[in-house]
Amino acid sequence: MAVAIAAARVWRQSRILGQAALLLLLRRPGARGLAISHPHRQQEQQFSSLDDKPQFPGASAEFIDKLEFIQPNVISGIPIYRVMDRQGQIINPSEDPHLPKEKVLKFYKSMTLLNTMDRILYESQRQGRISFYMTNYGEEGTHVGSAAALDNTDLVFGQYREAGVLMYRDYPLELFMAQCYGNVSDLGKGRQMPVHYGCKERHFVTISSPLATQIPQAVGAAYAAKRANANRVVICYFGEGAASEGDAHAGFNFAATLECPIIFFCRNNGYAISTPTSEQYRGDGIAARGPGYGILSIRVDGNDVFAVYNATKEARRRAVAENQPFLIEAMTYRIGHHSTSDDSSAYRSVDEVNYWDKQDHPISRLRHYLLSQGWWDEEQEKAWRKQSRKKVMEAFEQAERKPKPNPNLLFSDVYQEMPSQLRKQQESLARHLQTYGEHYPLEHFDK
Amino acid sequence: MAAVGSAASWLFRLRAAGAEGHWRRLCGAGLARGFLHPAATGKDAAQRRQVAHFTFQPDPEPREYGQTQKMNLFQSITSALDNSLAKDPTAVIFGEDVAFGGVFRCTVGLRDKYDFGVHVQNMEDSCTGKDRVFNTPLCEQGIVGFGIGIAVTGATAIAEIQFADYIFPAFDQIVNEAAKYRYRSGDLFNCGSLTIRSPWGCVGHGALYHSQSPEAFFAHCPGIKVVIPRSPFQAKGLLLSCIEDKNPCIFFEPKILYRAAVEQVPVEPYNIPLSQAEVIQEGRDVTLVAWGTQVHVIREVASMAKEKLGVSCEIIDLRTIIPWDVDTVCKSVIKTGRLLISHEAPLTGGFASEISSTIQEECFLNLEAPISRVCGYDTPFPHIFEPFYIPDKWKCYDALRKMINY
Repeated sequence: MAVAIAAARVWRQSRILGQAALLLLLRRPGARGLAISHPHRQQEQQFSSLDDKPQFPGASAEFIDKLEFIQPNVISGIPIYRVMDRQGQIINPSEDPHLPKEKVLKFYKSMTLLNTMDRILYESQRQGRISFYMTNYGEEGTHVGSAAALDNTDLVFGQYREAGVLMYRDYPLELFMAQCYGNVSDLGKGRQMPVHYGCKERHFVTISSPLATQIPQAVGAAYAAKRANANRVVICYFGEGAASEGDAHAGFNFAATLECPIIFFCRNNGYAISTPTSEQYRGDGIAARGPGYGILSIRVDGNDVFAVYNATKEARRRAVAENQPFLIEAMTYRIGHHSTSDDSSAYRSVDEVNYWDKQDHPISRLRHYLLSQGWWDEEQEKAWRKQSRKKVMEAFEQAERKPKPNPNLLFSDVYQEMPSQLRKQQESLARHLQTYGEHYPLEHFDK
Repeated sequence: MAAVGSAASWLFRLRAAGAEGHWRRLCGAGLARGFLHPAATGKDAAQRRQVAHFTFQPDPEPREYGQTQKMNLFQSITSALDNSLAKDPTAVIFGEDVAFGGVFRCTVGLRDKYDFGVHVQNMEDSCTGKDRVFNTPLCEQGIVGFGIGIAVTGATAIAEIQFADYIFPAFDQIVNEAAKYRYRSGDLFNCGSLTIRSPWGCVGHGALYHSQSPEAFFAHCPGIKVVIPRSPFQAKGLLLSCIEDKNPCIFFEPKILYRAAVEQVPVEPYNIPLSQAEVIQEGRDVTLVAWGTQVHVIREVASMAKEKLGVSCEIIDLRTIIPWDVDTVCKSVIKTGRLLISHEAPLTGGFASEISSTIQEECFLNLEAPISRVCGYDTPFPHIFEPFYIPDKWKCYDALRKMINY
């Protein structure tokens, strides 16, 4: 494994040296050339019966005459990169990104506004106002740290727990709410369950419920961005549970073999609904899988917004410059329930949840940092809490009052053009409603 | 999901011979020939393999699209792909083994032809710039997911699934993602510039996993289009329409026709409209509906009916499975009063059931006899029993005869 990573490093550096130099680095003495289309990925081997070195096309490795199984290391796994300690103090000053005050305040306000919106919308589901909701408690740092490290035009493929990315990109509260309420202002035209956000303007591809399907799609988008010389990275978010899906394996392998400028960002929050990581995988998390695909990988403290920022920033720079994928596994904790359909006290202790809420929360850690910088204080905190709550409540009340979209929108966008048979079905619903309309909630829908 | 057996062994031989860029040298020992026409033993008559169950009938040379060239089905596909790569700089073709020309030769020559080497940012990364026609790892769910992603950015993605039998790992990406992309996003996003091509249908010896016709699985999925050509001329025009269509399309290519079907095909691009069935022969007494290879079977059945029964058949090639052309079939059945639908795919839940159900709803009072479906049996596609399995001309003729005498 280490050899493969070292070799990969050699190959990457040699891009600068040029192809001829590359072949020199890899050529073994006394070998004849083999016609291959990607010499920088496979060694040029020459076949000779006098040479006892391996000739296999499938691996670049030496022989060994001792039988030994490689032991996966899960006790002392890939280390977790962090910049701040749990009290928000910078540990290694050379890793401090030295971000300006306005930017760090934007981090803080995005995370707290998201938190406030989550509390209100979760409650609104409990009250029967919206059908479903998923909170982001505890993972705000993974969203905001990564979003801040990207360009605004970088394409985002998410899973469902990345609302902070949209928040950071200034997606208005009105539109978050519109989607959750499925009201007439919803850009998604009321077609999906709450939290399935999408925004073309902000380059956030609409969320879908099936897990991990976005992973190979993100790779394709990155390939197209590479071909277009767009100087754009694609970031793909997913949880540690979704990483078990076949689509994840497909995505990683395609990204590496097709040399795509993509950041795979895994939010490892400890649970996939009720399934703890010990039942999700047996290896060293998700970061350890990257090298298996030939992907540069790192594990970071997802509750440290600066660590997330630094890792994403560097991954972005290199992914675009070198056209290769990066894997970031952000360790974090899902403080909330999986969704409003879940009660996590059924499978984990309240003490465990409280630890993370009180002792290792991305918002608290950043607040400590802000306080120690003198960029924030109790008064501003109080004022901001009041202001953010007010903003959310206003948007919430507005969203409640708006009607739902016209039922005709049930039928459009299946294809770009409406097929004649579907138009007939639309007409048959219209006729049905003329006679039986009283049995349908038409008063809530746009005329 | 590797194709085992003869396909694989031919591939290995080609690799050993330094296949890339040297396909033409191996013409005589090509994979496609090996797969599509396995050598007959030539000894005992009883041991000799069956001849094809149909005779390909070329259409008259098209005059309205300019100069034509004799092409077989795979060549007409190559021509369509060539036209696409030429017209559309964003178009890319990918899948298993497409780089060297594909296991059915559909992409021969394209990689070299479109290697301009200028698109990739760092030239060292892709030493030959061959970023338009490329192999992917062996993973259908990846191929389709990747293709969706390309299409989401607005570029044209032409994905190949090596055999329709292997499309199922990609079923989730097709049905849950591609088909629903536009609808679920409120038209903010779509993957309309995705086309999936795949060899389809019986081939004489393909058995369970090289013979399937899975169109019925996809017919149940609003949001995609499914198209099946009967000939080289149809294939090129329909494939170009699929590629240019603003909705994700699946284009199934009858593999038994790749070499067997030869006709004059225009060299320049042209389009045949989707969701329009074609009445390829007018008639008065009975309507026959089929698609792909089976169109040639029912053409022969129509001749038999004329000769032996004095019955005049109207033959319809459906061409697009969804959204399908209900009006053309209805109009025909209103005229004839009798409908026979035939496909290789198994009877239960096959697409003939959808046609039958709709036609009896729309044309009930015009029907003189129950609608007849002549299809494959409700079994997996067998190997040695293929001649008994397929809905051949005798089965179709017999069903037609019963319908006439009803």
